[in-house]
Amino acid sequence: MRSIQRRLSLGLVSVLLVAGLVVGQVSLWLFENGLQRYLESGLKNDSENLLIALSRGPQGLQLDERRLSPAYQRPFSGHYFSIEFGDTHWRSRSLWDAQLPRPSQPGLSSELQPGPEGQMLLVMRSDYQRLGQAVSISVAQDYTPIRESFKQVQQIGLGMGVFALVVILLLQRVTVRRALRPLETARKQIAQLQSGQRSQLDSRVPLELEPLVTQINHLLAHTEDNLKRSRNALGNLGHALKTPLAVLISLASDSRLAAYPEIQKTLREQLEHIQQRMSRELNRARLAGDALPGAQFDVDAELPGLLATLGMIHGEHLELSLNASPGLHLPWDREDMLELLGNLLDNACKWADAQVDLSVSQTPDGFLIEVQDDGPGIPEAKRDQVFSRGTRLDEQTSGHGLGLGIVRDIVDVWGGEMALETGSLGGLMVRIKLPGRTQKATTA
Amino acid sequence: MRLLLVEDHVPLADELMAGLTRLGYAVDWLADGRDALYQGQSEPYDLIILDLGLPGMSGIDVLKQWRTQGLATPVLILTARSSWSERIDGLKAGADDYVTKPFHPEELQLRVQALLRRSHGQANQPLLKSAGLHLDEARQCVIREGTEVQLTAAEFRLLRYFMLHPQQILSKSHLAEHLYDGETERDSNVLEVHVNHLRRKLGRAVVETRRGQGYIFGAVGQ
Repeated sequence: MRSIQRRLSLGLVSVLLVAGLVVGQVSLWLFENGLQRYLESGLKNDSENLLIALSRGPQGLQLDERRLSPAYQRPFSGHYFSIEFGDTHWRSRSLWDAQLPRPSQPGLSSELQPGPEGQMLLVMRSDYQRLGQAVSISVAQDYTPIRESFKQVQQIGLGMGVFALVVILLLQRVTVRRALRPLETARKQIAQLQSGQRSQLDSRVPLELEPLVTQINHLLAHTEDNLKRSRNALGNLGHALKTPLAVLISLASDSRLAAYPEIQKTLREQLEHIQQRMSRELNRARLAGDALPGAQFDVDAELPGLLATLGMIHGEHLELSLNASPGLHLPWDREDMLELLGNLLDNACKWADAQVDLSVSQTPDGFLIEVQDDGPGIPEAKRDQVFSRGTRLDEQTSGHGLGLGIVRDIVDVWGGEMALETGSLGGLMVRIKLPGRTQKATTA
Repeated sequence: MRLLLVEDHVPLADELMAGLTRLGYAVDWLADGRDALYQGQSEPYDLIILDLGLPGMSGIDVLKQWRTQGLATPVLILTARSSWSERIDGLKAGADDYVTKPFHPEELQLRVQALLRRSHGQANQPLLKSAGLHLDEARQCVIREGTEVQLTAAEFRLLRYFMLHPQQILSKSHLAEHLYDGETERDSNVLEVHVNHLRRKLGRAVVETRRGQGYIFGAVGQ
């Protein structure tokens, strides 16, 4: 997963770096070029002055010292010349005993030439005709100070560039964070959705996010609606099948059939089989499972009703005790959870002598549900049978295996674990471990 | 004991009627929710068996209206809706028991019997005990001081009603209303004959006559 923030910073930094370097380098180069043009005209001036200083003397051409710039007299002053005509070769006094390299052709030499004292020289050669003689004048100027100041400018420019980059990055971070705040809010809301703390996303979002949030909300509503419709359809199907089945079961125990015990037995068995299979499949089909991320089960609000219903069905002699921390919410669909707890408790009530205990608690990695009764329990060897389809341990207590089978279906859909143990009351204890929703979301 | 059965599936209603009548209950049958809403309040039923998926008006709505209008008759919901959330809704609407389809006829009969006893403050034991008599509802006979006495169907129905209402003055018309369904012609002479039969079998003191008021059962025992 890559964050938008990091991507934006990276992009901005690289664009700024490339642009800054290119612009800086190009402007330096242009400036240096202009400067060299300017220096070139100065050098041209110098060489023309030298040409004028050349005059006819008693031994042919001679250089009028008075017309020379004093910089040519001071040794290593940075201003040099050399004049060549015929075999004669004059050098400025400032060169001392160094040689001025003579460019191979007239004009400004394209490269800097090494000079005395480690100086770098900008050299220009001009060829003239003077007093009937070909005169070649080379003038040079030390370029090192300019180089150095250029370097300084470069360093200052680099420092300012880095500083500007840091400032821009910080500003960009602040801006992006501010601009992405709605996204962060939406992310938090989706996390809440997953942990069952809300059932819809807040629709007051910026224009860009609105379609996304609207679509998610629409999907949630659509899923819920679909679930309701399919549950309704299953309810109708169940009604359509169960009522005739009730007639058949009633007919199977009719006294007119008493004369044919074999037929009666087979009829009863087969009808029983249909009934169990149908109940289990219809129940399985009704499960919401993970379809609704916003679903939640309010233990405090729902369990008293369930316990009252169980008390009504199983009679007043049973003591149903509930042990759950107040305000506990389980992140699963209400109907699924009622089905799970209803079947678990119903099963316990059928077997209990006087007491059924239910405890619901939150653990670090999910939820723990424990139901136990003070009945006879199930021997360890037979526990596996309870889950196998249609098995009933006790024919006297109707639908015994079925209830736990449905519980197992639900636990499987939720990715939980279910174990049968012997409880402290001496009867069967069913222990169900369910993974928390948020944890599932982060590990996914 | 007079029961109202509200069930729109005719074959099932026929089966239930036959089974319940065999057990000595007077059963009236209705298939429409609106009729049930009216008749459940106008007739003095001892128990109502109510289906939820009814034409005209849903069973839950019928039940809610009965309860808001103060009808206290025990109601047993008989439905194909088997999910626990629906059971809880049924209870919240005011049902006293909830049986899901398909069911075994004996199971329903036992639940009806238990609910009737519970609504009259009797414990749910195999035998109905009152004023020194033990009534075996399954075999329709009564045990008095260790000896078993056989009863006819009509005598059984009458005695069961008396035993569920001990030490209460019951007029002939009240008895007739609760022992016969809406379609049977009520003849008070027939009742007198049955009371006399009971007295002959179980002793004169078992049912006292309060002149101008009616009969009282179990008054001597106190």
